[in-house]
Amino acid sequence: MQTQVADDLEIIHRVLHGEIDLFAALITRYQQHVARIVNRHVPSDRVAEVGHDVFIRAYGSLPRFSGHVPFEHWLSGIAVRTCYEFWRANRREELPVSALTTEHQQWIERILAAESEDRFREQARRQEATELLQWALGHLSADNRLVLTLVSLEGYSVREAASLLGWSVATVKVRAYRARQALRKLFLEREAQEHDTTQ
Amino acid sequence: MTRLSDEDLNKVECALAEAHRSRQEPVLSADWACDVMRDIRQETAGRGHAMPTTGIARIVWQGAAAAAALALILCATALIDTSRDPVELTALLSDELEAGAPLVE
Repeated sequence: MQTQVADDLEIIHRVLHGEIDLFAALITRYQQHVARIVNRHVPSDRVAEVGHDVFIRAYGSLPRFSGHVPFEHWLSGIAVRTCYEFWRANRREELPVSALTTEHQQWIERILAAESEDRFREQARRQEATELLQWALGHLSADNRLVLTLVSLEGYSVREAASLLGWSVATVKVRAYRARQALRKLFLEREAQEHDTTQ
Repeated sequence: MTRLSDEDLNKVECALAEAHRSRQEPVLSADWACDVMRDIRQETAGRGHAMPTTGIARIVWQGAAAAAALALILCATALIDTSRDPVELTALLSDELEAGAPLVE
């Protein structure tokens, strides 16, 4: 790890002094790392495009890379912030409750009824779970979406999320709370509508 | 079905987090990396310098420093000149100057 960090610094130094083609080594080394991060925040069919933007931004910001943190961490921050910009620039697709089917409702019922860990995991990996998650995230603002994904879904600490987003810890804390409340409200409203239509 | 309790919502949240973590990992090809490098080279060539941001930043700082030094010199010169003749300074600051009126009686 230490060797890689030193090697990254050497490459960056040489890129900054005109050996642009060496940047390809950094792309090769970190493209999967960036793809993994981006894939957790944007639709799968946009990962390549957003990942591309991440490296272009990283290259443009290279003179500002201080070297106080490993390049990988610095790049992770750029990746998360590029995803944030993606959702700020792209209109959210707010699907109405009617877009959800009885399969989604049944999935919730099966999750609540799951008695074993295996059964729970098996249900969580079903397509309905992914669709419900996308439906819910589609109702959140770019801020709430990013914070919720980092803190609640991926388990980053508030401090880590703040470092990646370049926000204060207090801001992340407040937004994480609000985002979670917004998500819960969505499910309660969805359930109330479901209840009304079945009566 | 009854209203979702806090415990129910926690369970749904956990399941959604699990669904999120189990997303299939994407694979970016070597062609993709080549495309990125091509765009970086084009951008750099368009700027006409290997890493122009450092060059531009230096020029901006040098320009700002030169402008600040020039402003200081001008201020100092103006202060020295006006302190020699306090009446002239008063005249410069006066709003009630009339054309043709003598500045010093």
